[in-house]
Amino acid sequence: MTVTADAPLELEAPPQPRYAERPLGVLTRPQGGRGWRDWLSTVDHKRIGIMYGTAAMFFFLVGGVEALLLRLQLAAPDGSVLGADVYNQVYTMHGVTMVFLFIMPLAAAFANYFIPLQIGARDVAFPRLNALSFWIWLSGAIFLNTAWIVGGGGADCGWFCYTPNSGVAFSPSHGVDFYAIGLQILGLASLISAINLIVTCLNMRAPGMTLMRMPVLTWMLLITQFLLLFALPVITVALFLLMFARLFGAPFFDPAAGADPLLWQHLFWIFGHPEVYIIILPAFGVVSEVIPTFSRKPLFGYEFMIFSGIAIGFMGWGVWAHHMFVSGIGPISVAAFSLSTMFIAVPTGVKILNWLATMWGGRLRFTVAMKFAVATVAMFTIGGLSGVTHSVAPADTQQTDTYYIVAHFHYVIFGGGVIGLFAGLYFWWPKVWGYMLDERLGNWNFWLMLIGFNLTFGPMHILGLQGMSRRIDTYAAGYGFELWNMVATVGAFLIALSMLVFMVNVWKSRRTAASRPAPGPDPWDARSLEWSIPSPVPEHNFDEVPVVRGRDEWWHRKYGIDDDGQVVRVATVEEAAQRGDAVGVHLPSPSFWPLAMAVGLPLIGYGLIFNLWLAVIGALIVIASLYSWAFEPVDDPDADHGHGHDEGHDGGGESGDGPGPDDAVGEVETAETDEPAAVGASEGQS
Amino acid sequence: MTAVGEDPVKPRPGAVRGLFRSAGAALAALVGLIVSGCAADAELDTFVPQGPIAEELHSRAVVPVFAIAGVVFVGITVAMVWLIWRHRVKSHSDGDWPRQTHGHVPLEIGWTVGFLLTMAAVAVIMLVALPTVDGTEANAVAVDVDGREVMWEPTVVVVGNQWWWEFRYYLSDQVDLAALREIGDAQALPPADIVTSGQMVIPTGEEIELVVTARDVIHSFWIPALNGKRDAVPNRFSPWKIEASDPGVYFGQCTEFCGLSHSRMRMQVVALDPVDFQAWVDRTIQDAAVPADAAARRGMDTFAGICTSCHLVEGVNDETYAANGADQASGAAPNLTHFMSRTTFAGGFLNTYNPDGSLNRAELEAWLRNPDGMKANYTVPGEQFRGMPDLDLSEQQIDDLVAYLATLGRPPAGWVIEATEVLE
Repeated sequence: MTVTADAPLELEAPPQPRYAERPLGVLTRPQGGRGWRDWLSTVDHKRIGIMYGTAAMFFFLVGGVEALLLRLQLAAPDGSVLGADVYNQVYTMHGVTMVFLFIMPLAAAFANYFIPLQIGARDVAFPRLNALSFWIWLSGAIFLNTAWIVGGGGADCGWFCYTPNSGVAFSPSHGVDFYAIGLQILGLASLISAINLIVTCLNMRAPGMTLMRMPVLTWMLLITQFLLLFALPVITVALFLLMFARLFGAPFFDPAAGADPLLWQHLFWIFGHPEVYIIILPAFGVVSEVIPTFSRKPLFGYEFMIFSGIAIGFMGWGVWAHHMFVSGIGPISVAAFSLSTMFIAVPTGVKILNWLATMWGGRLRFTVAMKFAVATVAMFTIGGLSGVTHSVAPADTQQTDTYYIVAHFHYVIFGGGVIGLFAGLYFWWPKVWGYMLDERLGNWNFWLMLIGFNLTFGPMHILGLQGMSRRIDTYAAGYGFELWNMVATVGAFLIALSMLVFMVNVWKSRRTAASRPAPGPDPWDARSLEWSIPSPVPEHNFDEVPVVRGRDEWWHRKYGIDDDGQVVRVATVEEAAQRGDAVGVHLPSPSFWPLAMAVGLPLIGYGLIFNLWLAVIGALIVIASLYSWAFEPVDDPDADHGHGHDEGHDGGGESGDGPGPDDAVGEVETAETDEPAAVGASEGQS
Repeated sequence: MTAVGEDPVKPRPGAVRGLFRSAGAALAALVGLIVSGCAADAELDTFVPQGPIAEELHSRAVVPVFAIAGVVFVGITVAMVWLIWRHRVKSHSDGDWPRQTHGHVPLEIGWTVGFLLTMAAVAVIMLVALPTVDGTEANAVAVDVDGREVMWEPTVVVVGNQWWWEFRYYLSDQVDLAALREIGDAQALPPADIVTSGQMVIPTGEEIELVVTARDVIHSFWIPALNGKRDAVPNRFSPWKIEASDPGVYFGQCTEFCGLSHSRMRMQVVALDPVDFQAWVDRTIQDAAVPADAAARRGMDTFAGICTSCHLVEGVNDETYAANGADQASGAAPNLTHFMSRTTFAGGFLNTYNPDGSLNRAELEAWLRNPDGMKANYTVPGEQFRGMPDLDLSEQQIDDLVAYLATLGRPPAGWVIEATEVLE
């Protein structure tokens, strides 16, 4: 089946019941559609991306409320909003929520939604596994937070949960059990997703989309997936040991039994430092897409950007012990990790200068997305440079575990990661939803967030240098901490206000979308392939798999360079863009089994903590789901392949579980037949 | 298709000069901000070193790296602001396209090398400064121990516990780092000549070696004015050092999260000139005596009956203490033999004395009445205690205990009481 823009293949679909009886398993095979049940069974990478994003934003609010509680407690000396016990739980859960339940899934939302679009694919390599990743992540997130209700409180050990303080003797509630098991579940989701997206990037690229033509966002997300792939097993091992230590009395971290408490620190930070780059690299990718678009210039030094990203990814494995400079690991280790930490600043610095060089001589149009992107560079620069100050190990002995560190990592993770992903939200919002976010409210959102952020975390540099330790639930008056803590609390509420403005913006923009002009496929005059298809993206993504002839493929379809080096338009967006009206594009069938399997995992978790029989039930659900899944064909032979709609998100994505086209440039007309899904499609026709 | 490798954008010399001028001004503003931020009367301030180690650490490591980071920050920020100001447009009109520059390899190699050299400079700073905090040059100090002069290798064993610090002085039988590592168990430390808590007393002008360890969870020992911090890891014995130039009191706060009352785990170093230090040794090396006062004697009996399951007063209840064994998760509670010689109690969190030098009876009684109300403790019946449990004492018992505690040790000099007052 070859579908091209010139010859869209029309298939008349016979009417079918939406939920046909299937012989395998208990659940009938879903057929796709628009109801809520179709979200539960979808394998469409776009819907999964939307679900990741929505859930992540929900947990951003949860983590934000936790942050506000912390700031209320610390606003003035001798705070009494939270007791010591509750404070310790709230700050721990704030960190865990923001890292694992907000910023990682928000990055996953971008990865799911945009990697296939940017490489010209119809879906990820393994659509059902993709659904499994999301459902496992969601079940893990819910599981983790049920600790508040059934676990006697959240974990109270800090997000890095050092042993032996996280042992059952020192943290007797079930909070840490939920942490240990919940993070294993979340890790499983990220691991599955990482493998899926790596295979997608390597195997599903459109003809001509060589690795060195991939958009930088996809590149940074690909590096992130490799970091996840190698980092998550390490934390999983650590969590597994912690779980056994807590639930079954294993002495892995018990000093009295001869264990070295630093074992946990090494395992945690071998994961924990790459985690920093897992958080920041997606934002780097977003910034690398937004700045060129609004500067009207290609990214300066694409190769340097890619290879600095790879260098950061590699060197990120050799710096973990800089979190342990004062642990007593000895001067040789300290010196070695201090040096490696310094040199990871080089590729990071190169990236910053390349972004500036991209802006150099450009036509900088400061949309809200561009403002967020430039602010990301500025704020990350501050976070990076405060990082340089404690890469010097002796200086770090005065800085580590103080508010200076709290300031540093918030400038990196919030200033770099979160503000960067907000640039992405404003940039790609019309692509995902088919309407623009309001720029005026967006400006309010931006300035409130930027000012609030700097008021919150800027003073923490000073507090830390004044000697305020992190993780203290109160402080006394008279140490000079009063003023800056109050300022930080005010700043935190400004950030909250900016989030309120964001939500109002979404609500209002959505409400007024119909009365405003539609954004069209390419509202920003952007550069990569996702802008060549309608907004919102049709369920099959591309009418015709694009053939890629260079970097910034979409830009080159609109513009050329004349002999004087001047940019000339060669095609309008309307001429160059795909219409999204192809019908009969074969898409993989939805499935309930990923969701069913994900439901079993938290049951195993509750079982391990409370009653092993519950774990048995959970395990049976997982095994039954796996079994049914294994015998469920990738493509439902009875499925209706012709339910062509021109509405947006409509059920499944496309293509089977196999390799896509390789790097070679294929012919336009044969592009589709290179894809294994086409085999299933022709079967479907017969 | 765009041609790759077109002429790069060349920096404009005038712009670059202006950029450096602005960088200098902004750097000055930044330094001003930091200095003014740290100028408060903050005893924990890391920018006010009070001893040679902290001073070297500050001048050799902190100041140079802040200067380098500051210059880079100002350079990048000024460049960014200039770019925004110079190149911003209201909207994109169709014909208005800048030169499509794809990169400039020599320029990019240039700033890669530039960053490499910058970080190499930072590396040199680190390597020069590292021996300042690690490695030791301590000289033996002559100390009179019960009329016998010993050459004390000035070592204090620092033991973290939930949520208080213990300081152990081995004067007559010196125990060094190697010996402690051989023992390997912080709950089985050999008996020391002086055991105190909350306040470490050191002689001025001497580098004091510390051996930092913990009995339960990881803590971190940090006196910002005297040196950086070192984690106290259970059963690991880590060397560290401090030195105070002048007599005075230097504040600290546990900086590794150690559970419930982490924020109320504080400590001080009291630096005395050598004569006062010798006097302190002479006093605190003595055992306690049975008090003469009737109330204090009743208090002593109450203490022997209730408190000795965790607390030791040497010379009075050694036997009952040994028989009871501690109910503490850490295996120890503060040694109270010279309770009155310390101006703080409850983990460096409460004041033993009022500012006028009188006994802070109110807080001491309140603490005995309801420790949990003063400081969050973990004291579930049937489990090991972390922090002090509520002992359900009668008012009479409390009065007697305070009378007894007031006999244990002698108060320090007035200036120490004044300077050590902790802000609650």
